[in-house]
Amino acid sequence: MSLRDDFQPRWKLTLKWGWLSFAVFILMAPVFYTMYISFNELGFGAKYYIFTFQWYESVFSDKQLIGSLGWTMLLAIITLPIVIPFGLLSAKLYKQSQHKVGIVFVLLSPLFVPADILGSALLVFFKNLNKFFTLISEYTGIYALESWFDLGIMTAVIGLIVYTLPYVFVVIMITMARYKVEQTEAARDLGASAWRAFWEIEFPQIRAGVFSACAFVVILTFNEYTRTSLLKGGFDTFTSVLISQMLNTGMSEESYAMASIVSLVAIIIVSIILIVTAIKTEELEKITRVVKEPNK
Amino acid sequence: MIIFFVLPLLLTVVWSVFERTMFWMEPGFTLFSYENFFFSSRLENFLSSMFHSSISVICAFFIGFPIAIFIRRRVKKVAQHRVMLLFILPFMVSEIIRIFALRPILSRNGVLNSLLMDFNFIDTPISAFVFTPTGVVIGEIVSFLPFMIFSTFLALEAIPNYIFEVCADLGVNRRRMFKDILLPLAAPGLFAGSVFIFVNGIGIALIPTILGGPGSVNAGLIATQAIIALDFPLAMAVSAIMMFTLMGLLYIGHRLFNLTKLLEPIS
Repeated sequence: MSLRDDFQPRWKLTLKWGWLSFAVFILMAPVFYTMYISFNELGFGAKYYIFTFQWYESVFSDKQLIGSLGWTMLLAIITLPIVIPFGLLSAKLYKQSQHKVGIVFVLLSPLFVPADILGSALLVFFKNLNKFFTLISEYTGIYALESWFDLGIMTAVIGLIVYTLPYVFVVIMITMARYKVEQTEAARDLGASAWRAFWEIEFPQIRAGVFSACAFVVILTFNEYTRTSLLKGGFDTFTSVLISQMLNTGMSEESYAMASIVSLVAIIIVSIILIVTAIKTEELEKITRVVKEPNK
Repeated sequence: MIIFFVLPLLLTVVWSVFERTMFWMEPGFTLFSYENFFFSSRLENFLSSMFHSSISVICAFFIGFPIAIFIRRRVKKVAQHRVMLLFILPFMVSEIIRIFALRPILSRNGVLNSLLMDFNFIDTPISAFVFTPTGVVIGEIVSFLPFMIFSTFLALEAIPNYIFEVCADLGVNRRRMFKDILLPLAAPGLFAGSVFIFVNGIGIALIPTILGGPGSVNAGLIATQAIIALDFPLAMAVSAIMMFTLMGLLYIGHRLFNLTKLLEPIS
């Protein structure tokens, strides 16, 4: 299938496609460069380039890096089952609500608030909550409350939920846009409960969006630095190890290799999602065309 | 979201007037943190980061708007979203990796200077690409350009095709089409994209830390440095100033352009 319309001179279209491709290439250039360095036996800044897989072989012996990957994975695993249902509920609420502006404002504003600002505000908020709960535990004698909001996994997860929810909301909204509410109404008229109508009628049609949102949450959790570093407490995440190496000793060759692996995995996951979505969309469009014009 | 997003941001205003103690802060009312911000070199740094962010917004407009128009007008409808999704790919790679890798690309002996010298555009390498405000602007464009393209495309997507067809039938030239149709109708998207780049440009500390060199400081960096120095009221004052800047811009944008229009194609 051709991607272009055909009422423009070919050279102009080529020029515009060239500009678009150039912009994508520039945005991706730093990633390609990281991958390029990761294959150099002499590492970053060397005059000569000797191709090697050596750093990929030794990457798994870097205990600090592997440990940080484990922590990051744990954060993603905890965040995922909380943020996805929130995103689904928010998208459904938005569709049914009369006060869309307020919902959009609350759900999408975190996209606009810079990471350092939100991270700082949450840090002070948690420290104050901690003091509040310490007071309550002193009065009530329930000391389990005392360390609820100590900086650690829970506070980091809350920060990640606030950060990833807007993305989950938008991705699910895009898939929900194609769903016709009349189908739920029909199912309810036939006696299905609200949950059954959702699970058996609506969910199968928005499943692709939900899985895409899951992939986005995992990738965003792996990439997030500022909020997590302010809220995580004592453990290291993948990006916090990278940034401490970058700013202090310079990135190790193993870190270049690991950064390349993480980037490549993210790119492959997103590419698969794009391809599957594209195929599904095309199938749906074909069905719509056949239903609309059965004789053609 | 109200407890862990709206409330902490609103409370920054309250905490910003608290008294600073040795390691924390205590309830009280003082404007010392604001004084500390507005009557020191921090204000100069803040204004300078605003200026650099404005340049990034203008550059992102000139690079991103033509791309969004091209995708909306010249790419077939079924393929438009697929092409747009190409710009999601960079977002899926850590911002740290993308920004840090710009250092060797832009440095004096880096890839960009080598290419410019190989093609005889310059004789001696340019050292202003990194550890200068130019480096910060380049970093902001590379980091945030997709947002300008997404938001503008969303606004353009809401324009029905018949408007373009009527313009073509009436013989409207390209300049007029741009000035009277595309620009006003894409305004909500352009505004949202611009606010995003502007606010993040003055609020994200990572870009000036990695690409800006010693003199580059923005609001995000002031806030994080204040936290490291245990000056929590100052960090909260900076956060409150940023929050008011953002809310003010979004309010103006919503009054002028009704920003919820941007979600119409997906709702």
